[in-house]
Amino acid sequence: MKNFELTPRKLISIVLLSLGLIIAAVPKNTTTPYKLSAEQILDEIKSGTQYMEPEQVAQMLVEKDPYLQLIDIRPVNEYEQFSLPGAVSIPRDNLLSPEYTEIFDQDVKLNVFYGNGTTQANEAWMLLRQLGYQNIYVLQGGLNYWAEAILNPTPPSNLSSNDELARYDFRKGASQALGGGTGLAAGNDQAASASKGKVPAPKPAGKKKKVAGGCS
Amino acid sequence: MSVSKKSKYMNPYLAGVLLGLVVIAANFISGRSVGASGAIKSAVVAGVETVAPAHAESAKFYKEFSEGHEGSPLNSWLVYQMLGVLVGGFVSGVISQRLTWKVEHNPKIKSRTRLIFALTGGILFGIGSQFGRGCTSGSALSGMAVLSLGGFISMMAIFGTAFALAWFFRKLWI
Amino acid sequence: MGPLVINEIISENTNLLLAFFIGIGFGFVLEQAGFSSSRKLAGVFYGYDAVVLKVFFTGAITAMLGLLFLSLFGVLDLNLVYVNETFLVSAILGGVVMGAGFIMGGYCPGTSFCGAAIGKIDAMIFIVGLFLGVFIFAEGYPLWENMYKATFLGSPRISEFFGISEGIFTFMVILAAVLMFWGAEWAEKKFPREEY
Repeated sequence: MKNFELTPRKLISIVLLSLGLIIAAVPKNTTTPYKLSAEQILDEIKSGTQYMEPEQVAQMLVEKDPYLQLIDIRPVNEYEQFSLPGAVSIPRDNLLSPEYTEIFDQDVKLNVFYGNGTTQANEAWMLLRQLGYQNIYVLQGGLNYWAEAILNPTPPSNLSSNDELARYDFRKGASQALGGGTGLAAGNDQAASASKGKVPAPKPAGKKKKVAGGCS
Repeated sequence: MSVSKKSKYMNPYLAGVLLGLVVIAANFISGRSVGASGAIKSAVVAGVETVAPAHAESAKFYKEFSEGHEGSPLNSWLVYQMLGVLVGGFVSGVISQRLTWKVEHNPKIKSRTRLIFALTGGILFGIGSQFGRGCTSGSALSGMAVLSLGGFISMMAIFGTAFALAWFFRKLWI
Repeated sequence: MGPLVINEIISENTNLLLAFFIGIGFGFVLEQAGFSSSRKLAGVFYGYDAVVLKVFFTGAITAMLGLLFLSLFGVLDLNLVYVNETFLVSAILGGVVMGAGFIMGGYCPGTSFCGAAIGKIDAMIFIVGLFLGVFIFAEGYPLWENMYKATFLGSPRISEFFGISEGIFTFMVILAAVLMFWGAEWAEKKFPREEY
């Protein structure tokens, strides 16, 4: 048998070829890891930070806030029957489709999900939050509550607190601006009074930054 | 012949593996790989901004740079990395006793010739690295590591051209 | 889970500090391999010293394999890692000019810093040339800005571009490199020279 001398070149070639064979044979790891631990998600669930009150959303709509992105989680036919101003349709079952990744993977706009109630929107929030996306919110009460609170606000009784009266004023104004319920006198002052009771909107959280690289 | 010749340098394959590990570490820590020419670019921009700020504000190249980078141009990953390269190279030189002031050149040419070509080569590399958005480290090596198409093309162009022109400049080296 | 700075496991300042240490490792290895010598670097083009080929390809392949394995074990998210962009015309033009610079100057930016660090004056002059070259490019930028930005193909990985898996492409590169190693050592025996 010939003398097989293990020069560095032969050694490195053998090692690299073997590793190369392994990496060529093994399928790629395509699972997107969950970015938040179970505890973190539970904390967020408990604190309910993902909810946005209808008043907050209404205010942003009235002010035409560019940072608001409403997302309708219901089936497409329901979306076409009625949807909130500026909402896009992303049915719950299609959430993981790559065409929506751009909408989720950014740190500029607030993505507010709504359904008829809150269940489906919460499902979307859970899923997307675990994938690490930020700026995901849920419209408290969904469209059912929206109709009740904003489109047709019930006037509080005379014994209500100032807060409640202010809230009712705001809702009336918003309702008028957003084309809801009772025919109040139209006019800009309605919209103005709606924005008087400022409810602070959540700020978009910073996203993981993309690196610059190469030699620039 | 089975005796490997004694070398004052590290075995190239071992060095290659270590180099690969450095690149892996850079990607793991910083999400980007090593480079070199970008640090020169940062330094040039910083220099022009200091010496002729008005020009730096109006000329397109410097404007585009400052739009893409906030803060001082010198406060960049690559600049710190290149400072490290100086230190690392120096330490290695000390350990292997290779510290020396000299103009390294083929004895068949004059040292002045070597320096002229070093300067010319540097100028060409400076220009080329801007077009190529990287040099052999930043574009070719790092690009290959992440399987970048641009990196691969860069590498082929650099080595291909150098091979093609080798005969014309052989007097410099052999 | 890497990359560390993007997943905010370390801060940006730590990142810059670590860049310095990565640079030390980079410079140390390059100098140990002999890349501080322009005559060694140019050797691959004349056959007498294939150190560039061996180190470069071993390095690139080790990195490719390492990154792919780290991704396989879920330790590194390759989607967050920077992939160089591809501007076809600019890349080729730059590569050609750099190739000329390489064969004339005998250095590239990274190796010139190593050479300068151990006192090679030709390396230092090369670095001066680098500054001048970048400056020339910057001043003449309006002339070639269009060429610089032409043919943007995005940041495709080669495997995506040719429709093969990353693992298979890596294996092909390894095969090519092994063949080149054999060829290189044959050339070194054929054109022996004393060591620089």
